[in-house]
Amino acid sequence: MSPESPLGPCEADIGHCITCSDEGIPMRVLRAGEDLAECRDDAGELHQVMVDLVAPVGSGDTVLVHAGVAIGRVGP
Amino acid sequence: MKFVDEFRDAELGRALSAQILGELEPGRHYKVMEVCGGHTHAIYKYGLDDLLPENVELVHGPGCPVCVIPMGRVDDGIAVAHQPGVIFTCFGDMLRVPGSEYTLLQAKAQGADVRMVYSPLDALRIARENPDREVVFFAIGFETTAPSTALTLKRAKAEGLRNFSCVCNHVTIVPPLRALLESPDLRLDGFIGPGHVCTVVGARPLEFIPADYGRPVVISGFEPLDILQSILMILRQLRAGECRVENQYTRVVPQEGNLRALEVMAEVFALRPHFEWRGLGFISQSALRLSDAYADFDAERRFELPGVRVADPKACQCGEVLKGVIKPWECKVFGTACTPEHAIGTCMVSPEGACAAYYNFGRYAREREAV
Repeated sequence: MSPESPLGPCEADIGHCITCSDEGIPMRVLRAGEDLAECRDDAGELHQVMVDLVAPVGSGDTVLVHAGVAIGRVGP
Repeated sequence: MKFVDEFRDAELGRALSAQILGELEPGRHYKVMEVCGGHTHAIYKYGLDDLLPENVELVHGPGCPVCVIPMGRVDDGIAVAHQPGVIFTCFGDMLRVPGSEYTLLQAKAQGADVRMVYSPLDALRIARENPDREVVFFAIGFETTAPSTALTLKRAKAEGLRNFSCVCNHVTIVPPLRALLESPDLRLDGFIGPGHVCTVVGARPLEFIPADYGRPVVISGFEPLDILQSILMILRQLRAGECRVENQYTRVVPQEGNLRALEVMAEVFALRPHFEWRGLGFISQSALRLSDAYADFDAERRFELPGVRVADPKACQCGEVLKGVIKPWECKVFGTACTPEHAIGTCMVSPEGACAAYYNFGRYAREREAV
């Protein structure tokens, strides 16, 4: 946030907006189940993510998550 | 985090900035549109505009899902939220989008049961936990979010949930881009393509831009180095007299998209003949409705919606901002009557909106301090 902004701390400054789910966030898969995986984002938060669209995934994979659903894999 | 940190390297950013300077033709002004609101947000969050020469102008496109929802659709959502027994769910940003009289947040203050969710799957969980209530999800977003809604509805159908439905406002990115390219107001040199939409739909849907309009497109990631590199790739195409779709975001975007996501979307959704976009008017085949196979989950069939078209407030110039015709600070109410806390226009509501990005990151006027 710019110092001159009259607003208080902005959620946009912590890396992503916490209220709008329409954004893609890369997350690391910690434990993969059949259709859900436990994933960790850049900020260290844990999420339950639906992985039907990118299955199979394994521990250590990075997926791109939109609104609770992995829509792509992130890789070299 | 791998795939994130290395794309935020300041030294590499400065090097890319110098390479961009080296690609410019003397005396030429370049207008490059970033289609996606996520790009707009990243550009101002990381101050990328300060790393660009003055004659490279970034024009902000219509790719913020909250910004393009017309007031009439918000009114439809509020009408459903006020129905007895309804639990109305939506993403947080939608709560603050003004309808013709008030917002969903104000509807909640009046007693409507409006709840914020992070995913349509959360709405489904609420439906399971409240079998005696009607749970409605107000779905918004481009092809990035549509797969989440589609998977949720497939799951609802498989579970036989009868108290869950969806007001579908999903939109598609190609028709508004074509409308913008047909607009005489705007002369663009190239496009920073929407990386996450292309993760789902692939690169092919954007090929009409070079083929029909002779403009280069570079599908881009959302980290600062991604965006700078994409601008460099556009300038290189322009300098070489070329135009084609290039993929800068190869670590995520497969050429063919996500075929499983496209399959699920084809099952659950059908194209609407036309849909109103805020500021852009009605655009043919630019939005999705629920397919006949999912008619039972269609809130537009389950509830009576007003369906009234509402004109934007006269003071609001979101339409021109969404088309890239004016910069946010050129709007009469920017930063005065219209702020993120009390938004008049949708572009000020979502952090992905151009006005909110300018406001939150201090772009209050044209003049910028030299860096």
